[in-house]
Amino acid sequence: MSRITVENVTRRYGDVRAVDGVSLDVAHGDFLVLLGPSGCGKSTLLRMIAGLVSPSDGRVLVDGNDVTEAPARDRDLAMVFQSYALYPHLTVERNIGFPLRARKQRKADIRRRVAEVADILDLGALLDRRPRALSGGQRQRVALGRALVRDPGAFLMDEPLSNLDAQLRTATRTEITELHRRLGRTFVYVTHDQVEAMTMATSVAVLNRGRLEQLGTPTEVYDTPASAFVAGFLGSPPMNLLDAEIVSRDGRLHAVAEGVDVPLGLDHPSHEGEQVRRPAILGVRPEHLSLRPAADAGPAPEAGGVPNGSAPNGSAPNGGAPNGGAPAATLRGSVRSIENLGSEEIAHCRVGAAEVAVRARRPAGFTVGEAVVLTVRPEHTHLFDRESGRRLVWQPDRDPQVPAARVPVAT
Amino acid sequence: MTNFDAPETPGGRSRTRVVVGHLTLALLGLACVFPIYWLYATSLRRPNDVYEVSPLPWPLSVDSYRTAIDEVDVLRLLLNTTVVAVLTALGQLLTSLLAAYAFAAWNFPLKRVLYLAFVGSWLVPFQVAMLPNYVLLHQLGLLNTLSGVIVPNIVSGLGVLLLRQHLDSFPKELLEAARMDGRSSWSTLWMVVVPNLRAALAALGILLLVNAWNEYFWPALVLQRHNDVLQLGIRSFMSATEGDDWGPLTATAGLACLPIFIIYLLLQRHVVSGFVRSGLR
Ligand SMILES: Nc1ncnc2c1ncn2[C@@H]1O[C@H](COP(=O)(O)OP(=O)(O)OP(=O)(O)O)[C@@H](O)[C@H]1O
Ligand SMILES: [Mg+2]
Repeated sequence: MSRITVENVTRRYGDVRAVDGVSLDVAHGDFLVLLGPSGCGKSTLLRMIAGLVSPSDGRVLVDGNDVTEAPARDRDLAMVFQSYALYPHLTVERNIGFPLRARKQRKADIRRRVAEVADILDLGALLDRRPRALSGGQRQRVALGRALVRDPGAFLMDEPLSNLDAQLRTATRTEITELHRRLGRTFVYVTHDQVEAMTMATSVAVLNRGRLEQLGTPTEVYDTPASAFVAGFLGSPPMNLLDAEIVSRDGRLHAVAEGVDVPLGLDHPSHEGEQVRRPAILGVRPEHLSLRPAADAGPAPEAGGVPNGSAPNGSAPNGGAPNGGAPAATLRGSVRSIENLGSEEIAHCRVGAAEVAVRARRPAGFTVGEAVVLTVRPEHTHLFDRESGRRLVWQPDRDPQVPAARVPVAT
Repeated sequence: MTNFDAPETPGGRSRTRVVVGHLTLALLGLACVFPIYWLYATSLRRPNDVYEVSPLPWPLSVDSYRTAIDEVDVLRLLLNTTVVAVLTALGQLLTSLLAAYAFAAWNFPLKRVLYLAFVGSWLVPFQVAMLPNYVLLHQLGLLNTLSGVIVPNIVSGLGVLLLRQHLDSFPKELLEAARMDGRSSWSTLWMVVVPNLRAALAALGILLLVNAWNEYFWPALVLQRHNDVLQLGIRSFMSATEGDDWGPLTATAGLACLPIFIIYLLLQRHVVSGFVRSGLR
């Protein structure tokens, strides 16, 4: 029964801000995943919620009660550590019962409760063993058991699966999701593995250098990343990010760069051929790009593709226009390498100075060095501000008299 | 004499190195054992034979032991010595544990300064602290008592130093897990830290016990009026006028060594493992 609220929490270590002004609200029963690269402050944030680290600034609330100063044991939270932190000198049974003994419960009650938990986690046969005599997966389950036994209001987990092999990780992932569904408790789960985040979470908080980049459902975070960082962190390979400029041409807005011309599908009524220029970052997911040989498309670039460096002349921003009717967003470049993932292929192409990954069905039938055209539907493109990295969204002009306001603005 | 390169040179060179290495070690070993052997050999000779140099004491005799037991109350001395050594070692172990736990588990102001002070107290030569301690004992009226021998030695800088090394490598997540599980710092120390530090504690305990057992100078200073501990009992067989009475002297010394030997034999594994491994895992 726990709702966890974090208000503007900061933790400083000397000059380093491990966590920097993060606010979160985890509703009762939510499965919140804290996601981010190594060193971004996930563990520090989790520890502040747990009460193992005290915030330099801000408040932590559990069920509306300010627990910022309360010791860990008074918060009704249980934690599963990355190293599992099982007590090496105690048997599995006593490890699981430890929190109950610390709370001075009756012996018979403890035994009954430990048996229940061991049953849930299928640990019955291992109760007399020491942690040393357990496999990694078994240790992990004992650690879960020790958290479960108290029936806490919320579970905090710090990369609990990172020490397991790939197969076991997938299996345990399902188990934990199942546990969450069954217990209906709040989970706060730290990971740097986006697959875990996407599959387990009801909401994902992406952290970067101690700051909260985005909070949303897995779908939101993946489909509408709030910043270039989130876009470049999620997905494997992640979203392609290219430096581009937004210009208006023939009354329409385009994102252009060397070898790139993407109509944004937005009207920008021309005023005496005036051009709006705005530096931006263009983002396209590898799975939204489709590949075709350059020969099929518009003006053929000269001689069999130019491998690296100098861009084909034919792909200058204005050259992509003659497609007439349906505005096709095109990127022109050449194939640099092809990765075979078994079920599909990733083609790495060079477009201008940038590297672009494309996900394609096997066999895509391209050879290294071949000149290609990549197309994407305009609604599958993302734009980010060059400076702040924030997502750019189109805000329809409220005052049509002031055309200058009709540029994309940062959120 | 490391032989890390042995597999690469399976020929004669590494073979000679092994042989030379073992020979050197054997000689060193002999050099260490010989005085102890000679002590017992002498104590087992007949009183008239104590100056003999034959390597084997023959015929054997326990006369020296009998004399020793008659002249000094060996059993009482043994008991006193045991009390002093055990209490000193236990006291040092406890204070070291508490101090090392505090240093390893918390951050507090002046932590470094305080730690340096502890280590410093170990580096200060005994002779420097001797006089102030003596004066203090005099003022407390503890001279010529066993408490006077024990109390000033209840904290060991070395113990704090060694245990802190062990505790620093103790997994912090275990302490945090105990905290999440509802243990106070105090009960975490006894329920989690101590049981996992048994090897290190045993090793340090033995070290401290042996140190306390072998202490001669400080008891000699505090217990001037009576020879209340074994080490001082040995003194009574030395005299400037009649020369040293080697038979009973070696017998008493031999008896004084025995308890330590026994402890060492029983706990040998702990001693070695405690100093070789540090921490858990
Ligand atoms: N006790 C500490 N003293 C000083 N700096 C610390 C301390 N704990 C964490 N930090 C710093 O705070 C930052 C965030 O650390 P944190 O452990 O929260 O990262 P993380 O996101 O959990 O990384 P990982 O995925 O590698 O576990 C890091 O730069 C780290 O060096
Ligand atoms: Mg971490």
